Amino acid sequence: MSLHGSDLTLSSTAARSLRAAGTRRRRSLPLLGLLLIAPSLALSITVIGYPIFDVLRMALFEVNRFGRLGDFVGLAHFVDAFSDPIFVQAAWQTVIWTLSVVGGTVLISVPVAIILSEDFYGRMIARTVILLPWAISLAMTAVVWRYVVNGDFGTLNMTLSALGLPFANYPWLAYPTTAFVIEILVGILVSIPFTVTIIMGGLTSIPRTLYEASALDGASTVRSFTSITLPLLRPFMQIAVVLNVIYVFNSFPIIWIMTNGGPSNRTDILITYVYKQAFVFGNLGNAAAGSVAMFAMLLLFAALYLTLTRSTETAEND
Amino acid sequence: MTKAKRSILCWAALSPLLVVAIFPYATMLSTALKQKDEVFAVDQSWLPRGLYLDNFTRLLFERNFGQAVLNSLTISLGATLLSLAVAIPAAYALTRLSVPGKPFFRNYLLITQMISPIVLIIGLFRMFAYFGMINSQTSVIIAHSAFYMAFAVWMLQSYFATIPRELEEAAWLDGASRFTGFVRVFLPLCLPGVVVTALFTFVSSWNEYAMSLTFLRDASQQTAPVQIAFLTGTLYQIEWEMIMAATLIASLPVAIIFAFIQKYLIGGLALGGVK
Repeated sequence: MSLHGSDLTLSSTAARSLRAAGTRRRRSLPLLGLLLIAPSLALSITVIGYPIFDVLRMALFEVNRFGRLGDFVGLAHFVDAFSDPIFVQAAWQTVIWTLSVVGGTVLISVPVAIILSEDFYGRMIARTVILLPWAISLAMTAVVWRYVVNGDFGTLNMTLSALGLPFANYPWLAYPTTAFVIEILVGILVSIPFTVTIIMGGLTSIPRTLYEASALDGASTVRSFTSITLPLLRPFMQIAVVLNVIYVFNSFPIIWIMTNGGPSNRTDILITYVYKQAFVFGNLGNAAAGSVAMFAMLLLFAALYLTLTRSTETAEND
Repeated sequence: MTKAKRSILCWAALSPLLVVAIFPYATMLSTALKQKDEVFAVDQSWLPRGLYLDNFTRLLFERNFGQAVLNSLTISLGATLLSLAVAIPAAYALTRLSVPGKPFFRNYLLITQMISPIVLIIGLFRMFAYFGMINSQTSVIIAHSAFYMAFAVWMLQSYFATIPRELEEAAWLDGASRFTGFVRVFLPLCLPGVVVTALFTFVSSWNEYAMSLTFLRDASQQTAPVQIAFLTGTLYQIEWEMIMAATLIASLPVAIIFAFIQKYLIGGLALGGVK
């Protein structure tokens, strides 16, 4: 028995030292590590890195409609683009689009996430239905909504008429304002699932005991919401806002499919403007300048995101 | 408050959003089952006259929509395989090996995840045109893999980190090489994580619009979402009953996949992407 015991100890010590040697030998393999990372890095540097270089080059050099590069022209393409009234209009509309979609999304998502975190019958069904728009291609969502709001045979007007409202043949997408409002609402609807998910993650990170303690101290539900829930949700909301801004300001399919930027460019945002300049008008210099401007904004938001997540990480570690 | 009471309140509060979320599906289903004259009738109703499935069969066999679905399948499967092929080794290296510049690579991945391909679409188009790959599905497979790989690495990494090192180390003690240990011990344990990641990549690729629209100019190469959106842009009378049947075919399978895997996404976002 004792022999057995010592035998066991011996073998486990041996195992430990062996394992230590083994892991030391096997863990410090920087070359293997690099080798394993290399394919992914090569793929993304080629497919993402080269187009960045190419777009920059087109923005700074003379370029004809077939893409042949000429002399260096400095910032001429940028000046051209920025002095195009449609570019300015599209930039302004991009600001409205982004602020309305992100603002609306956050305003709706916080209460929805709070309700979905409650314990009630059928919660999983409600959650699945609300997250459903995430599963479907933005292109398909746009196609379906384009039909829903169709003036003559869309299901929206059909339902509104059935309710006795005077919208029998109202052509929602024919007027710039209603078209843009509808696109913004669709944008909000498709951004809700992602935002609700992040905020629900934030809600689960708040310890129950905080609410119990504040209830013991006689705090009302409203008070514990403003003093516990909102402050502790703040980092998650910041992240949700920045990521949504990134996704929304260059969102393409909804506007492209529902109105194609029309009527008369009144629903164009920068990305649809750039796409038209490049693939409809063959105005590559302008399009490249617009792309570079948008890419710079994207990097700015990404940097903001990285600093935000880093500061919450350090706050957690402290 | 009892749970029953609370349930009624919660459902009541959510109902406007639920109605709006379901509205497009109801429209899709109701219209796809209608006949042409019903869609364009003056007096419309939600319920179709009967169970009319001809739109689906005509779509698949007369309109060649089956080809578009097949193209979508090829591209999504190809993109899933390619991005897993590069993401699995990278995620393994990030969780198990010492790699010089690891934090830099992590941040690089995060940033590429935020770069939207549409901003670079002119550059991407010119690159594939240079290689003669416009109208070739390979171009879309490569582009999708490059853009969805970062998410796959993040997702896989969070799963890989949950597998105890001791299991692999035990295999090495038994004389297995690192590679055998990886294939025989590590990978089977991570299989659920790999499957979930694969499904997410598949769904993202299936749903992608802008790149497929731009690189595949020829109708015979186009993916299902692109072809459907194209059908709405025709100048003569738009066949909404066919289009709705097509959107149903293009969305229902991925919606079902997604309903099953969404809870992993919540976990994955909490673990890797967001926190």
